[in-house]
Amino acid sequence: MARITIADADIHFDCASDDSILRAGLRAGLNLPYECNVGSCGTCKFEVLAGEVKVLSDNAPGLSERDKKKGRQLACQCLPLMDCTIKVRQEEGQSATFPPKRTKAKLIKTVDITHDIREFQFQSAEPATFVPGQYAMLKIPGVSGERAYSMSNLPNEEGIWSFMIRRVPDGAGTKILFDSIQLGDEIELDGPFGKAYFRADSERNIICVAGGSGLAPMLSITRAWSMGSKNPMQHLTFFYGGRQARDICGESLLQELPEFNQQLQFVPSISVVDADTTVAWAGRTGFIHEVMNDFEGVDYANSDFYIAGPPVMTQAILDFLRETHSVPHDRIYFDRFF
Amino acid sequence: MSGVNSVEKNGAIRLCQVKDVLEGNGLQINLPERPPLAVFKIEGQIFVTDDTCTHGNASLCEGEIEDGVVECPFHQGAFEISTGKAISAPCSVHLKTYQPILVDDEVFVNLNETSS
Repeated sequence: MARITIADADIHFDCASDDSILRAGLRAGLNLPYECNVGSCGTCKFEVLAGEVKVLSDNAPGLSERDKKKGRQLACQCLPLMDCTIKVRQEEGQSATFPPKRTKAKLIKTVDITHDIREFQFQSAEPATFVPGQYAMLKIPGVSGERAYSMSNLPNEEGIWSFMIRRVPDGAGTKILFDSIQLGDEIELDGPFGKAYFRADSERNIICVAGGSGLAPMLSITRAWSMGSKNPMQHLTFFYGGRQARDICGESLLQELPEFNQQLQFVPSISVVDADTTVAWAGRTGFIHEVMNDFEGVDYANSDFYIAGPPVMTQAILDFLRETHSVPHDRIYFDRFF
Repeated sequence: MSGVNSVEKNGAIRLCQVKDVLEGNGLQINLPERPPLAVFKIEGQIFVTDDTCTHGNASLCEGEIEDGVVECPFHQGAFEISTGKAISAPCSVHLKTYQPILVDDEVFVNLNETSS
């Protein structure tokens, strides 16, 4: 256990030798800047002023040459080798979410969602505490490192954590999850994490945009919105983009909600037309930001936007919202994974 | 530093005088009913961009400037000032830039014409 001290602030926290400085800080309840937890987004930059750290990934995409020259590191990639003094900027105000905890969870159920996305339900002894839209880091036996997956269900006392995971061709982690892991097997779960959580107190309309396994956090947010007390005029529009007709999912799950086709609208689209002749498609076609552009009923000046999907899709939506519609950044929520 | 100005001339808005901007610095310009702009002076040349970082609610005029690059004070994302290009994570959306119009030592821009 190492003692971490934040320079110029009377703040100390303990960090286990196998824990990152970022996560240990979050566990201690600090409001540290971060998004992805896996070295990609570059939000958790910090400096080690004294002490020594072990760096998990030397070429994390979140750290530019420029950052390296300035002696910066990523707090999510650094494990302490001894007591350290660090320089880090804390976000303003209190953290609005729960400090992450490590726990063990057993696989209790799987459900196929599409040809390559499967829902995995795990159960932990303690309640599943998170805000809809957040993710957890899973450590799967036999797989090196961890994977970040978003919860698709709602927080609950029973300790149930549902994830919708897309099988990655030749992916070591998903191969074990899809082919080897059995009901009753145990994994390590660390969470919750993430800043792209549902802002339930906003009265603006809600636009959820999902692609691939990004369905999970958007579903969790939509379920939370459905359960909550809300203005009867508040609408939620759920855009879902897939490559082919067989990739489209989510509608049957959204149909279970009482607002479906009233306050809640589902707008699916496929981007590769004619590639798949096994499943008929009479719906919209095009990339999801193009579909949004053509779709009347998105009030860009008065909506909150939640985005979860492949990086290319997320970036295209961000560019579209920021540059074409000047949507303020504090109404756009997403976690950046690569 | 910041200034408030909105004198219009042929559709262009006056922002400040060239001498108001210190070499190697940014001057925040607040305009009515739109987010602030930043006027930078790099090696004597004037550049105008949006002042708010594309990643978070931070003023780039408060960031460090080095080698024609401005760094956001919040998460150290960075932009090339001349082009607005986002060059360091977590910033990924480029910054809007505006073509400065210099008339008698005064800086104007036409807000309807972005240069990137």
